[in-house]
Amino acid sequence: MIKFAENSKSIILNASELHIGQNARITRLNDSAITHKLFEMGCVPGTKISLEFKSPAGDPIALDIDGYILGLRLSEAEIIQVEPEIG
Amino acid sequence: MDEPRLNIALIGNPNCGKTTLFNRLTGLRQKTSNLPGTTVDQKRGIWKTQQHTYYLNDLPGIYSLYTHSEEEIMVVESLLGIENFQKPDILIYVMDASNLRRNLLLFSQVSELGIPAIAVLTMNDTAKRRGLAIDMAKLEGELGIKTCNVNPKTGEGYSALELNITEASISQTFPFQNHIEARLVDFFNHKEIKGLAAETLLRYKRIETVVQTSTTKALGLAKNLTHKLDKIFTHKLWGFLAFAAIMLTIFQGVFTLADYPMTWIENGFAILAQTLKVAMPNVFLSHLLIDGILPGLAGVLVFIPQIAILFFFISILEDSGYMVRASFITDNLMRKLGLNGRSVIPLIGGFACAIPSILATRSIKNRHERIATMFVIPLMSCSARLPVYVLLVAIAVPTNSHWGPFGLQSVVMTSAYFLGIILAAIISKAMYWFRKKEIEGEFILEMPAFQMPRIENVLKTVWYKSASFVQTAGKIILFISIVLWFLSSYGPGDSIESAKRQVTLALSKTTNITQEEKTAEIAKATLEASYAGQMGKFIEPAIEPLGYDWKTGIALISSFVAREVFVGTMNTLFPNNSGKDIKGIRSKMQSMKNPKTGKPLYGAAYALSLIVFYAFALQCVSTLAVMRRETGGWKWPILQFTLFGTIAYIASFITFNLANLFL
Repeated sequence: MIKFAENSKSIILNASELHIGQNARITRLNDSAITHKLFEMGCVPGTKISLEFKSPAGDPIALDIDGYILGLRLSEAEIIQVEPEIG
Repeated sequence: MDEPRLNIALIGNPNCGKTTLFNRLTGLRQKTSNLPGTTVDQKRGIWKTQQHTYYLNDLPGIYSLYTHSEEEIMVVESLLGIENFQKPDILIYVMDASNLRRNLLLFSQVSELGIPAIAVLTMNDTAKRRGLAIDMAKLEGELGIKTCNVNPKTGEGYSALELNITEASISQTFPFQNHIEARLVDFFNHKEIKGLAAETLLRYKRIETVVQTSTTKALGLAKNLTHKLDKIFTHKLWGFLAFAAIMLTIFQGVFTLADYPMTWIENGFAILAQTLKVAMPNVFLSHLLIDGILPGLAGVLVFIPQIAILFFFISILEDSGYMVRASFITDNLMRKLGLNGRSVIPLIGGFACAIPSILATRSIKNRHERIATMFVIPLMSCSARLPVYVLLVAIAVPTNSHWGPFGLQSVVMTSAYFLGIILAAIISKAMYWFRKKEIEGEFILEMPAFQMPRIENVLKTVWYKSASFVQTAGKIILFISIVLWFLSSYGPGDSIESAKRQVTLALSKTTNITQEEKTAEIAKATLEASYAGQMGKFIEPAIEPLGYDWKTGIALISSFVAREVFVGTMNTLFPNNSGKDIKGIRSKMQSMKNPKTGKPLYGAAYALSLIVFYAFALQCVSTLAVMRRETGGWKWPILQFTLFGTIAYIASFITFNLANLFL
């Protein structure tokens, strides 16, 4: 289940760049002080992720992580690399 | 009842239904206490099953054992049995069935601690709605410990739970790395832990096989109610309107609802004091009890309605899931001020009363952000400042003057509130720059599904917060109240007695004076001759540049008990016929002329300067007491007191002089 996007043709985005309702899968997390914390919150490679809604200011945003909602600031969501699902 | 033999601890992620389960299992046989030297709550209760009786501990919800927050470290310490904690004999591992992967991470860590355990799955209805089917037999096999479904709200599955607990065991199948204890000790000693990320990813890999074996996923139902509500509560317009409406309700609730019980408490104590005054001999101890201790106790208890009502609303917001949404929509603004979305409710609560609001900052996880929030809360003009403002505004501004379409009185009143807000913004921003080099705050917040708040949980929070306030800050408030009573009732040598004699003598010459007026004149003379009166005269040179005389000095000192005491003291110093009516004090004060200049002694400049002073200065011992309690020392309250006091002094000085120039 845990796999990395090795397919070079696929587009990799930051989770902060998803648009509302867009489904994706986490490919990897960039190194940062909160990377481990995000792992613990279930943001691990292979997990389904989608952008659910944004706060009025557009930051923070609410992501669906495999069935639960996680609120993240844009700077925090940028750490999460995702591969959007096709279709 | 047989004595409980075993200690059981409930452990699990936040929002997994753990506390509801705890409340249901222990009922009223529970106690929440504060761990010594911390702000961490420990919940302990007694759980009686058909056959046995156990001690049950509700540990705070955590996501992982590798943590840095105070509350969460305590969970790890108690699991390891270090730092005065007794290691639990059995663990009940509570997991949200709709989010098994993430919930199993903590399980995978905990399963290596060698504590006998059972597992409990909650939120099965949510899991079903999402199309998740869990094969319990297979899951139990994978986890290697007894596992059952429980619905904490309905009590479904309790009999299985009671049965399982007698068969708690150490999982032989799940753990894969048996040195987590040593790694945790290193982690808490701030030693570098090699391969922490790799360890966590490896755990998830193991978890994935468990999930794949035991669950099947069908197509879930379409977006649920939570999703629809979130669209509203986080909407650009509706979200803020809902937020404003909810805040207004809370504010109004604390402000007006609390007024009734507060009046009952005050009146009750007044009646009690009156009764005792008649019944007890006229000796020092009677005065100490009636005029010192009783008002002090009243001063503590009078906060309870506000605390109870604020926490009633706050725990409804917490329990329903709205609190997280409020943080979500305000985080952006709060962050610009160096605070956190979680700061917004305590700050708004500050307009009612700083005491419960400071207690409410406990939900802010980042210590820097929490301290910054607590630091600026007293700058929100609380309800105790309102009567002071009303009196002073009435002195400063004629009733029927206008500024554009607005009454000038309400403009001045509103400005007083804004002064505090602006200073709070500046100070919190400044604090942010000071600590910039340190850890940046984070948001990372789970947004649980909306649910009906459970009245049981709400009432327990209300009860605990009120009791905890009485036990901790209450003592300091009582003590300071007694000191202030002593200062205003006793004076050096026979100063009080001679002052009383002089007044009585002077009054005996006038004929048309009522007994009430006589009592009022004596009270005035007593206060003026007391230590507080002396102190008022002593600080007069210091406050003269602000436009205050020594009588104002007395009122400033005495209002440390609570700001509204300012009005009461002024009432004593300016005896008038209309009782404690503000109009009476105002006209009496306005009639006073400065003997040197012949100008009014208490004019517009005086009143404006005092409004500014009260908007900024931390004139409240209760706030200082609670700050000491919540920050664990005198450093922050002293800093707050000095800083706000200095700013208040300078700002009032400027206000007085500008007002004198232009008015």
